[in-house]
Amino acid sequence: MSSVTYNNVIKSFGDVSVIKQLNFKVEDKEFLVLVGPSGCGKTTALRMLAGLEEITSGEIMIGDRVVNDVAPKDRDIAMVFQSYALYPHMSVYDNMAFGLKLRKTPKEEIKRRVNEAAEILDITHLLDRKPRQLSGGQRQRVAVGRAIVREPKVFLFDEPLSNLDAKLRVQMRAEISKLHQRLQTTFIYVTHDQTEAMTMASRIAVINKGLLQQLDTPQALYDRPNNLFVAGFIGSPSMNFFPGKMAVSGGKVTVDMDGFQVQIPEALAGPYKNMDGKRVVFGIRPENIHDPEFAPVNIHGEKVAAKVDVTELMGNETFLYLVNGKNTFIGRVDPRSSKRVGDDMQVIFDMDKFHIFDVDTEEAIR
Amino acid sequence: MAVAKSSFKKNKQKSVVLPYFYLLPAFLVMGVITFYPLIYQVIISFTNFESKHLLLGLQSPELEFIGLKNYLDIFTAALPVENFNFFRVLEFNFWWALSNVILHVPAGVLIATLLNTEGLWFKKLYRAAYILPVVVPPLVVATVWTNIFDERYGAMNQLLTSIGTYLGNTAPVYIRWFEDVKPPIPGFLPGAPLTLAYYAMMIANFWLGWPFMSVVATGALQSIPKDLYEAASIDGATGAQQFWGITVPLLRPAMIPAAVYGFTLSFNLFNFVFFMTGGGPARSTELLVTFAYNLVRNLRWYGVAAAFAVIIFGVALVVFLITNRITRATQNYQEA
Repeated sequence: MSSVTYNNVIKSFGDVSVIKQLNFKVEDKEFLVLVGPSGCGKTTALRMLAGLEEITSGEIMIGDRVVNDVAPKDRDIAMVFQSYALYPHMSVYDNMAFGLKLRKTPKEEIKRRVNEAAEILDITHLLDRKPRQLSGGQRQRVAVGRAIVREPKVFLFDEPLSNLDAKLRVQMRAEISKLHQRLQTTFIYVTHDQTEAMTMASRIAVINKGLLQQLDTPQALYDRPNNLFVAGFIGSPSMNFFPGKMAVSGGKVTVDMDGFQVQIPEALAGPYKNMDGKRVVFGIRPENIHDPEFAPVNIHGEKVAAKVDVTELMGNETFLYLVNGKNTFIGRVDPRSSKRVGDDMQVIFDMDKFHIFDVDTEEAIR
Repeated sequence: MAVAKSSFKKNKQKSVVLPYFYLLPAFLVMGVITFYPLIYQVIISFTNFESKHLLLGLQSPELEFIGLKNYLDIFTAALPVENFNFFRVLEFNFWWALSNVILHVPAGVLIATLLNTEGLWFKKLYRAAYILPVVVPPLVVATVWTNIFDERYGAMNQLLTSIGTYLGNTAPVYIRWFEDVKPPIPGFLPGAPLTLAYYAMMIANFWLGWPFMSVVATGALQSIPKDLYEAASIDGATGAQQFWGITVPLLRPAMIPAAVYGFTLSFNLFNFVFFMTGGGPARSTELLVTFAYNLVRNLRWYGVAAAFAVIIFGVALVVFLITNRITRATQNYQEA
């Protein structure tokens, strides 16, 4: 059993509170990604699990064992650092073998495990080299290899891809996912990059200001964000937000934005029927805003007038930066759209896919 | 086309000559203050140059070229100087430099590592304090330490006396640090007996030498990424294993050049030896440089001194070539 549990974990450095309270459980063999903006406490959460930071209060468990006072080496974890932290004076082989040698593993066994890991990561030909003779991607692999040979219960990754170029990052992302499938071990992965989180995780924990915002599968986070922060953080380009006011009359629920209004389809209007006059934030993702020419047919579409401010042609899709009065928003439309900068148009909001948030609590209302 | 080609050639010639032009002032200065005396010295090392030749220099009518006699006299101890044996001085000189480095480097590293402990109070104060010995003028240091080792009134003998009293021995300790010719550990360095004066100088030079090594080690320690220690602690390394497995190898690129520097510094530590022991007793603490100085200053044998200096130059060159090789062999791990 190699689940990981955070129970009321709090961490402060002097007067600065970094982790206000964390409560969650990472299941055995799960790939959990901790994601959040810089300084949100995600790395601290990981380092506390590794034993590199003390916990101010609360407890962390690996399996059934509370590890608060267990030395890093006895926690049966392996960590891949953002800087890779390879020992510069040792060859790749020695880097990978270091932990095993310290644990007095028999030489033959060390050799077997290092060679096996090297084969998985395709670095067999680099075993004699020193870290300085390797490219960023190769160093990354060695760092992962060093973790693999230890055969730990839990793998920890601290932003391991952030020093790689974009192309390599995509490639390594897939490889780490593959590795997880192959090793069938618990992976806990910290990143600020929501794309990494979305593509690799079995579940994502979104953290902000030292608090867990939401813990769910990537799709659930994307489709049903619990609050304004999660809604804005997950997805790229991020969700469009409009300050608005609910209006209920004759059983019809509409949201009045400054300059336009949209009607909520009857089937989804239930939760809002007694909210007449309430100030809310209306959210809609860019891909749910369509060019009328190419809008899907079976949707509850609402027309909204807009002027095209900027267009970004991506080839497979086009981003329209749109303006309506004081509101600016982005539509992700069909690449065949003929709309160009300066054009006035009517865009279609897909009202089956909207989000409403409370202005004060920032929580989703649904 | 031909014109273009020739002007290209001209430009190329110009670009080859230009750097030398910029170097010219430096060459001129070096020529006057380094190369001219050097060549002059090599020439007079083959002569019987003495005080009386100073006025006319190489034009002196009585100046004789005596070939390799000066060199042979030095090597065969044929100089009319008491207690002089070139190879003994050479051996002592090497041992002196080596033994200093062997003590200073580990001590410096150890102290720097201890003072690098996270959360240690007054860290900056300690670091400022250990730079002090480096900035005190050598004459002052030598004078203070000469007094400390004074037979009657020196602090060292007083300290030993108090220790003796504590252990039940009431007789005062009068160790003749700078006069006793009997080596306390006989046969320790065959061929060049180490007298008490050597140990006294070692103690004094230790005070002077480790802070520098500590300064270098402190700088190097701070450039070792913290992640490496964290990775090692997860890998299972204890504090000692981290020290031997990470700190020591990563300090090596900084400490070897420092050790080489320390070696050459001790090798030619003229003022210390000169002020503390004057090379005595019985020339047992004489270094090559102090002896060369004696040849000129006291005996005024310029020819012999020049030959001696040429020999020192040769020795220094060998030392330099070896140490340079060592230094290059330990270039920084980070650089390709």
